[in-house]
Amino acid sequence: MSLARAFWWLLAWACLVWYSTLTVYVAWKGVRDIRRMLHELRRRS
Amino acid sequence: MSHFGWIDGGIVGLYLLATMAAGLAVRRYVGGVEDFLLAGREMDVHLGIASLAATEFGIVTCMYAAESGYRYGFSGAVPGILMALAMFVVGWTGFCVKPLRDASVMTLPELFERRFGAGVRRASGVVIVLGGLLNMGVFLRMGGEFLMTVVGFGATTAGGESWAASHRLELTMTALLLMVAVYTILGGMLSVLVTDFLQFVVMSIGLVAVTYLLLGKVGFAALADTVEARLGPGGFNPLVHPEMGWPYVLFYALFNLGVVLTWQTSLQRVMAAKDSRTGQRIYVGTAFFFVCRFLIPGLWGIAALHALGPAAPGVTSLSAMPTWLAGFLPVGLMGLLVAAMLAADMSTDSSYMLTWASVIYNDIVAPWRRPGWTDQKGLLLNRLLVAAIGVFLLLYGLWYPLRGDLLDYIGVTATIYLASMSTLLVACCYWPRATQRGAAAAIVVGAAIPVAYLVLEQTTPAVRTSIGPHWSGILAYVGAALAMVVGSLSQEAA
Repeated sequence: MSLARAFWWLLAWACLVWYSTLTVYVAWKGVRDIRRMLHELRRRS
Repeated sequence: MSHFGWIDGGIVGLYLLATMAAGLAVRRYVGGVEDFLLAGREMDVHLGIASLAATEFGIVTCMYAAESGYRYGFSGAVPGILMALAMFVVGWTGFCVKPLRDASVMTLPELFERRFGAGVRRASGVVIVLGGLLNMGVFLRMGGEFLMTVVGFGATTAGGESWAASHRLELTMTALLLMVAVYTILGGMLSVLVTDFLQFVVMSIGLVAVTYLLLGKVGFAALADTVEARLGPGGFNPLVHPEMGWPYVLFYALFNLGVVLTWQTSLQRVMAAKDSRTGQRIYVGTAFFFVCRFLIPGLWGIAALHALGPAAPGVTSLSAMPTWLAGFLPVGLMGLLVAAMLAADMSTDSSYMLTWASVIYNDIVAPWRRPGWTDQKGLLLNRLLVAAIGVFLLLYGLWYPLRGDLLDYIGVTATIYLASMSTLLVACCYWPRATQRGAAAAIVVGAAIPVAYLVLEQTTPAVRTSIGPHWSGILAYVGAALAMVVGSLSQEAA
């Protein structure tokens, strides 16, 4: 495999693995952020 | 032949129902203009990452990134790498975005007024809104064409079709825009953030699932072989591609830095963040997403090249990817993809409508606002502006037939805004000798060069080969910076 092919192979799989991980992580933590944001807005009003 | 069936329709319906419910549920938390435009500046990192990623990935992005993959192979993903680098460096160092968030302004022109005066604020507002609205004007039609092709509604019978059948695209996208407008008008940034979060999850699952299936069924080696056979070394390295080279890379480096620094929809996430540190963390956390944003649809474009070849009858470089998807995806995954793409489009439309409304309200209408105006009056005006932008999008982007090259159109409208605004922002934050005259000169030169190129391209076609869109773009950025320096120094000397 040439260097250019290896670079794009690595980047393509890095994208998939990183994006899958980010989706799960942000989906989990984002719910907490929404709850905190709405709580703050309710408290202020 | 599309595999879109009733199971897919059910998935799409469920997604639309959940989005509307979430968007409408949070409208009661909107108390004033700051809640409506910036969610009370209470947004935290993970919600910010989801919102920024969802906003900056629409169907139009997917179409162009796939077209780049189809035409340029892996080299077409280079703008994504450049954007990721720009966003990471800006987020890591806080270059421009930290002073911007610390200034507690709502929009970019508001910051410019403090340094360059009210005239520059209004002129910046006009340039931003013009560039932004014209850029966004084509989103609906592009989104509609993708959806019609993928679900198999693209083929029309010759004659005898009812009006509704021959206007499926317009009617579908009008209904979609109405749904987006309802929750954006009622809930503002709060509804946008909550629906963006849901849309990010649905969109990401769809993008990742389709790409895993592609690499599993077709394989990376087959895609790379196609690129090598059809495009040669230029399909892997833009510097040796005959249509790309250094001007392409340099133009996209400047262009993406401009987007990261001044694109109002991205900045609105920084300004809605609870502090500048959170804003910077959102940029750092989202940076690598921009590689995925180009490379994932780019792989779909390469798959279309692999399956259809470079000259399939009735298929253009733009329609190749949705045509390939229509035949590739099985029932179930097709529904997930359509829901994902609807999510991508809705999150982009809602954010863009709100963002340009905020600039009109804050920077163009501001001088005519009476001192006694209540927050409720401001809220009403913002809602009317969002509705007016929705009407503009319908008339301009959907029902009005656009003529000319779409890619050039998008590039030119964005550069008109980015070249001058990024120069103004850097000078405003870091160059004490910058003056009002320099700012005005940068706005004029930054807008004049790309507009002049567009006109010359139409009247003197040789300009396209002798100068080209990349050199003209580079000239716009360099010209705006020079105008700022010369204008400022001449005012100081006077």
